[in-house]
Amino acid sequence: MNEKYSIPELMAVFLARQLNDGEVLRVGVASPVPEAAVRMAHLTHGPNMDLVFLGVRMNVAHLETIPMPAYGWDRRVVRWAESYSDTGHRFDRVKDWSNHVFFIGGVQVDAYGNTNLIGVGKDYRKLRFRGPGSVGTPTLSTHVGRYYIVLNNHNPRVLVEKCDYISAFGYGRGGADARAKLGIPGGGPKLCITPMCVFDFDDDTRRMRLASVHPGVTPEEVRNATGFELTIPANVPTTPPPSDDELTTLRTRVDLAGRLQR
Amino acid sequence: MNTRRRERIIDEVAAGGWIENGMTIAIGQPTPMALVRQIIRRGIKDLTVVDAGFSLDLLIAAGCVRKVVSYYAGGGFGYPVTPMFRRAAERGEIEVWECEEGILCAGLQAAAQALPFLPWRGAVGTSLPEVNPDLKVFSDPIRGETLIAVPPIKPDVTILHAAHADAYGNVRHLGGPGWIDLFMYRAADRTIVQAEQIISNEEIRANPWATTIAAADAIVRAPFGAHPFYSRGFHVQDNEHLKAYADAAQSAAGGDRAALDGFLDRYCREPATHADYLERIGIKRLLALHEY
Repeated sequence: MNEKYSIPELMAVFLARQLNDGEVLRVGVASPVPEAAVRMAHLTHGPNMDLVFLGVRMNVAHLETIPMPAYGWDRRVVRWAESYSDTGHRFDRVKDWSNHVFFIGGVQVDAYGNTNLIGVGKDYRKLRFRGPGSVGTPTLSTHVGRYYIVLNNHNPRVLVEKCDYISAFGYGRGGADARAKLGIPGGGPKLCITPMCVFDFDDDTRRMRLASVHPGVTPEEVRNATGFELTIPANVPTTPPPSDDELTTLRTRVDLAGRLQR
Repeated sequence: MNTRRRERIIDEVAAGGWIENGMTIAIGQPTPMALVRQIIRRGIKDLTVVDAGFSLDLLIAAGCVRKVVSYYAGGGFGYPVTPMFRRAAERGEIEVWECEEGILCAGLQAAAQALPFLPWRGAVGTSLPEVNPDLKVFSDPIRGETLIAVPPIKPDVTILHAAHADAYGNVRHLGGPGWIDLFMYRAADRTIVQAEQIISNEEIRANPWATTIAAADAIVRAPFGAHPFYSRGFHVQDNEHLKAYADAAQSAAGGDRAALDGFLDRYCREPATHADYLERIGIKRLLALHEY
C-alpha cells in the first residue's frame, strides 16, 4: 500500500468520482466515507448537488471549507441548510427519486447486493448478534436511482453468500429482472466498495464480481476474505488511487479533522 | 355552569400517572426525558415502546419494556447497537416488532386515519414481513402491484418535547416539528408535551401558523427536559452523560449491573421531580451545554 493516503481516503475519493452534478445525495448516520465523498464531489465537480444529511438539505459549494456535520438535528448543522426535508414526510416525492443516490452498510452483505441490518443467527427470536435495525434503508433502497454499498470491513462474516435476513433488497437471488418482477422502481446497488476492492454487478446474473483491487491487494487475497464464490475476470484493474490534488482537497477542504486518516 | 376554558398544564409527576402498565407509548424527538424518567421512577412494566436509541435502551435497562416497535437501535459512543436492547433482544426478553422509518410512518398514519392498514412499498422483497407477521404482503386491487399492508400503530399515550406551549395545549416546535413527532401525535389517544417554556395564549394567537400541535392533552413545564439529549434552540446533547450511561449499559450487558443500577438510581429513581433531577446534574453542567 502506498503510504501517502489511507484506505478510507482512497475509498472516499473513488466514491466522489462516481457522483454527478445535479444529483441528490442522501447520507445517513455513521457514514464517514460517504459523507466525505459527497462533500468532495460537491466541491470539485458538483455545484448543483443537493446534500441531504439526515433530512437536512444543503448546498455548500460556496463555502471555502465546511465543518463536518455532526448530526442533522443539531442546529449548528442546520445553519447551512436551505430546508429540512422531513417536516412533511421523510419519504415524500419518492416518485422523483431517480436522481437520488444513497449509501448503505450492513452487518451482512450477500453476493446479490442484499444487505442486512437486522441481525445474525438462524433463529430470529434468539439472534447470535442483534443488529441496530433497518433505519430507513428498506424504503431508500427501494426508490433511489442507484446506491452504493460501503463497508468498513472485508471478511467472510460480512460478505456472505446469503444474508440471514434482508433489510434492504438488492437483487434478491439474482437475474436481470430481480427488482422489476417485484415492482421495485429504484435501480439497486451499483457498486460495493470495501477496504480491499470494488465489486460491481453482472448485468445478467446481478451477482457481484470483482471490478478492481486497491493498490497492493491481490485478487486471491480478496477471494480468501470473501464468504461467497467470487467471479474474478481475467484482468482485474487496480482501483485508481487519489491524485495529489484530490488528496489535498480532501484533507484541506473536507476532512479537516483528519477522521479518514486514522 | 363553569364557562372558564380548561388549562392543561400539569406537573411531570401527575403526567407520569397517565402511563400505566401494558400501555403502548410513543416517544418523540427531541426526547421527552423528564417523562421517561417518571416512567422509570414509577416502575411501569410491560410497555410497548415506539422509540429509538439510548432512551429506548434506558427504558429496557429499567425493566419497563415488553415490546419494541423498532426501526433503529444504533448507539454511538463505540456501540453500534445500544447494549441493553441488544442483550434483551438476543435473549428473547423483549419482543421486537421489526419495522423501518417508512413503515412506522404508515402505521402511525393508519391509526390516525382509523384505517385497517396503509400500503407501503419500501421493504418489499426483504425479510421484514417474515420476521414481523403483522406486515402482510398483498397484491393491490388497482394495479396488481406487490405491496406491504401496514396495520395501525396506535399509541395510548404519545410523549413529546417541544420548545414552547401555552396553557391550552397549543405547541410550537422550534425550527419545525422534525420527522416523527406529528405522526405520533396524530396516531395517539392522548399526547403529553413537555415544553422548555410556557408562553402566553396571546403569543400563540399572534402567529397561529407557527403552532405545530393544536391540541395536546397535557403540557408539562420542563426546561432542560430533554437532557441528556439535545433540545433544538436551547442546548446540545450531553455526550459525557450519555457515554457514562452507554458504558454502564455495556457492563450490564456483560453481566455486571452494578454501574447501571447505580445510574438508574441516581438519575431516574431517586430524584422525585424534574427539578430534583436538574439539581443532581448541576447548574454548571447544564449551562455548559449551550449551542453557540
